[in-house]
Amino acid sequence: MARNRTARVAVLGSSVQKAATSGYPSNRSSAVRRRIVVAVLVVASLVLITVSFRSSALDGVQGTGASVLRPFEVAANRVARPFRDGAGWAHGLINAKSDNKKLRRENAALQQQLLQDEGAIQENVQLRQQLAFKGPPSLAKFDRVNTFVLANPQSAIDQTVTIAAGKSDGVSDGDVVVTPSGGLVGVVDKASHNVSLVTLLTDEQSSVTATDLTSPTAVGEVHRGGGGSDVLILDRVAKSKYVGVGDTIITAGTLGKSALQSMFPRGILVGTVSSESDTDVNPYKTIQVQPAVDFTSLQSVIVLVPKAK
Amino acid sequence: MDGVKAAVILFVAALLQLSVLTQYPPFRNGSVVLVVLLSIALLRGSVFGAIAGFGAGLLLDVATLGTLGVTSLLLTVAGFWIGRYGETTARDRFHAPYLSVAVVTVLYAFGELVLQFVLGEPAPAGVVAHGIPLGLLLNLILTLPVYALVRRLFPPADLGDRVREVRLLG
Repeated sequence: MARNRTARVAVLGSSVQKAATSGYPSNRSSAVRRRIVVAVLVVASLVLITVSFRSSALDGVQGTGASVLRPFEVAANRVARPFRDGAGWAHGLINAKSDNKKLRRENAALQQQLLQDEGAIQENVQLRQQLAFKGPPSLAKFDRVNTFVLANPQSAIDQTVTIAAGKSDGVSDGDVVVTPSGGLVGVVDKASHNVSLVTLLTDEQSSVTATDLTSPTAVGEVHRGGGGSDVLILDRVAKSKYVGVGDTIITAGTLGKSALQSMFPRGILVGTVSSESDTDVNPYKTIQVQPAVDFTSLQSVIVLVPKAK
Repeated sequence: MDGVKAAVILFVAALLQLSVLTQYPPFRNGSVVLVVLLSIALLRGSVFGAIAGFGAGLLLDVATLGTLGVTSLLLTVAGFWIGRYGETTARDRFHAPYLSVAVVTVLYAFGELVLQFVLGEPAPAGVVAHGIPLGLLLNLILTLPVYALVRRLFPPADLGDRVREVRLLG
């Protein structure tokens, strides 16, 4: 019994001492080393932030790094695709009946609209030829680079996506990005060798001159609305202009004979008007626009590269 | 060996986060990289946590073509701090990983916000605050499997002592 007690005390004593020193170093020299390591890493991070934010000196290195990571991201995307498709299929199945009814109604309306539009397009082409009219750059003056999204926004405040096309595909900073269905996504912010960073239209620093398709004189500036939603605001539209709920909002392109060309060609779909109101204190209309694009889950996009490049 | 294992698991976590989880908007509020990093830091201490955080942050910044150093700074501090917690009061505590993930998720969100603000980038506090509860929930759910996996890969350093103790008593 006495031997057992001795052994227990010895073991407990030993274990307490070892626990304080084993695994995690805690003596004075390791405390100094710990502080030096963390200080070096924090300073290195601050230097990286400063250099990256103030100059483009690290862009090449970053671009190369992103290019190296690209195959891994593509592989991960491919592995995840069946699961994503499965989830989409299951979701679609739940809403299939109501969607079918709604789409049939829309289809009938669009067929009528198409007939009218085709007539208007033919008339437009003829009139342009007769007048030798030189209008703003249209979508026909752009090459299309089809690509897919490597990484969607990383957090609630991140309003950028990374796409799998870069300078090697002809993409450069400032090129306009749309969805395959024609909705405006944003602008290429930083083009690397074979990946690019796209700033979304929902970024607080993004804006585009836009107009109402049915009331072309109502021209304003589309930018992100307040709060956490992705609703856009069509700002600076005079109160005298008519804008109705449900109207389609498109990019206005270059206005008049301005020397400063808009980077956005005319006619890209921005969204539809979801609400419109006037207030006495605001000199302009308050117009909310529901974007045509779901910015939260972009899969594939098209980069519009000017043909004149 | 631990360094290689940490590099591989953080690389896989970063790929998972960049290419898979961000495809689903609700999952965007969570961060599997953060949870993996905190689990490693808890089990391997402050220096290891800080270095792993710096590397993981750099990887994310490079892959997303973001401002280099921003994520590195946040993850370095997070890895170091939780590593210190692991070295001191958190040892053998069941709640340590959950508490660490919960606290760091909130502080990381506000830290990112402050850095954005300092850099003159848009910093919508309302959007961040709105996303925190869901982010917290997702990260806490992730903690259970991720910590179990990381603990298998990085067994606690003082486990051998305990085994010897049992043998002696027997």
